Amino acid sequence: MFKRIFLSSLLIGSFSFTAISQTELTGRQIYEKVNARDDGEHVTRKFRLELTDRRGVTRTEETIGYRKYFGDEKRTVLFYTAPNNVRGTGFLTFDYADASVDDDQWLYLPALRKVRRISASDRGDNFLGTDFTYEEIKKEGKIEIEDYTYEVLGEEIIDGFPTIKVQSTPVNSEIEKELGVSKVVSYIDPNIWMARKSVHWDVNGNKLKTIVTPKIEQIDGIWSNRNTLITNHKTGHQTNMTFFDIDFESSVRDSIFSKQSLQRGVR
Amino acid sequence: MKKFASIIACCFLWVSPSLAQTEVHGEYQTSLAVEFEGGDVQKFDHILKLEFSSDITDDVRLFGLGRVRYNMINRLDYGAPGDKAHRQRLDRQFLVGDSELELRELYIDGYAGDMFYRLGKQQIVWGQADGLRVLDVLNPFDFREFILPEFDDYRIPLWTTNIELPLADGTAQLVWIPDQTYDQTPVFGSGAAFEFSSPLFVPQVPSSSSVTIDRTSRPSRFFADSDVGVRYTTFKGGWDLSVNYLYHFQDTQILRRTVDDNGAVAITPEYERTHLIGGSFSNAFGAYTLRGEVGYSTNRYFITTDPSDSDGVVETPELSSVIGIDYQGIRDVFLSGQIFTNYITSFQEGITRPKNETKLTLLYEHKFMNDILTTKLQLIHSVNDSDGLIRAGLAYDFRSNVILKAGLDFFYGSKNGLFGQFQNNDRATIGIEIGF
Repeated sequence: MFKRIFLSSLLIGSFSFTAISQTELTGRQIYEKVNARDDGEHVTRKFRLELTDRRGVTRTEETIGYRKYFGDEKRTVLFYTAPNNVRGTGFLTFDYADASVDDDQWLYLPALRKVRRISASDRGDNFLGTDFTYEEIKKEGKIEIEDYTYEVLGEEIIDGFPTIKVQSTPVNSEIEKELGVSKVVSYIDPNIWMARKSVHWDVNGNKLKTIVTPKIEQIDGIWSNRNTLITNHKTGHQTNMTFFDIDFESSVRDSIFSKQSLQRGVR
Repeated sequence: MKKFASIIACCFLWVSPSLAQTEVHGEYQTSLAVEFEGGDVQKFDHILKLEFSSDITDDVRLFGLGRVRYNMINRLDYGAPGDKAHRQRLDRQFLVGDSELELRELYIDGYAGDMFYRLGKQQIVWGQADGLRVLDVLNPFDFREFILPEFDDYRIPLWTTNIELPLADGTAQLVWIPDQTYDQTPVFGSGAAFEFSSPLFVPQVPSSSSVTIDRTSRPSRFFADSDVGVRYTTFKGGWDLSVNYLYHFQDTQILRRTVDDNGAVAITPEYERTHLIGGSFSNAFGAYTLRGEVGYSTNRYFITTDPSDSDGVVETPELSSVIGIDYQGIRDVFLSGQIFTNYITSFQEGITRPKNETKLTLLYEHKFMNDILTTKLQLIHSVNDSDGLIRAGLAYDFRSNVILKAGLDFFYGSKNGLFGQFQNNDRATIGIEIGF
């Protein structure tokens, strides 16, 4: 059975590679396809975050998140539902299509009962103790295309799936500092235009973290990431994010993407 | 007030059998505070918080939060804390020993079309300021431990009708508060650690004079003495904006002083109404966030030392404002500074508060180890009185549901100042929070 799946993967891979080599996509074009990937007009999903430090101690946090497109503008809201010390924390972001316009972000801290406007320039900061950056949480596998220059490094099989290896380098030192990376090497699956793996280097050129996405499935006809594992090579910290109850079909109320909604809590 | 509580209680009984999804959470906290001077234990308490949340329908939820506190050592309030003078009788009950049970929140909320409603005992926070308040005056404070507890813990929730509905490009909020509960301060003369003594708040009386404190005249009419407020919030061109109006009783007692022919002094605590008109703004610019708020109160009351004044209190409007800048340009660091100003528009000689009062706040917060360890350094400084409060804190997330805390609180400056009056209360604290 395993052999059959593996062979099928190789066969699919050989078709894909042929297609890629024929079209000779540049790194930028590949990422344009990643960004153009259908991720649904709106989605509701829950995810569990298992945060493990270098001693092996794991903290588990649970959230529910909503995302919806308003034209070109993408709005995302997350509510923490467990454990006690973070329950009620909410994060809202308006991600504008125009890269020259700063995104708008708000954080609701239940201990202060207040929605705090937060700077969107902290794109490379870790998101609420995870190994994800704010940028990664917001972009969900996509990127700001103008942030990088791209180079196709070749093709590679990752977990049995054929991928195109693309290196992305921040266009200038300011973006490099904002994002906290000097380069990212991603392994893009050309059949679904999603990264199966990516390796990040920090601004000093040291290997920073590796992100793998071992479980990508089609849900409601949309390729969806069910699990992401990040290993931070500098701190030994790991973040394991597992998605469940992913729903692209049920409608999502516009008003949930508001400061008022952050205060009211998940409904 | 009882009517309001009864309505909520009836709703609760009506929906109880049909509660679909119910979640129950709790938290146990214990904390110890030791004063530097003399090494006295200021407090050693155990707190149990229990909350439940039930989805009655897809759009309607019932929420409740209760708190039990057992004070093993208590220098924060002695004897009866004088609840009647400040708050509703049903709010909290004193149990055996030095313990109390307090209903913190109990409300039903949900949507009716686009309208959001929350009915019951709740907290509402207005404004953008941290630490001190300009527009955040809807809920009174419990000053038992001054402003040292967690923000959420020293606010007193009120029975409130809160309606929010979309209007034009923003949201209109209507608030009706038929709950005559006000700031809770330690009883005068009780010797409690954070008893107010500054001339800013307490009339100064010659030591040779006899002093009597009259019974507090607390408003009690359900409709006539309720507070009402309106807020409109919108988001325009990257700016979060709000316009606020509140017609309310000031939460701080006004201590009127009368002197009889024999020189005996009588203090009469009262509450007075004011209109508050104001607004707030915030926006982010790169790594900086600018935020601020302004509020104009039509009727504020200040203590005066003018012996010819009939009751020792002067009524005047007051303009208050805060402007703050937050900086997040350093990874895992949050830096924040604020300038608070209060301007008495009809100042009279003798008022114990300066005509222009300025306070500064600074906050440095640094998170380490993927937010497991948080360190915090905070300064609140009064420019006029040269007094202030310095706080250092550390919180360590030992496990998902276990947090260890430690802190230091230093008061400095003149005993006549808001902070300096507590200069003998410098303390070290440790605590544990366990969630379940």
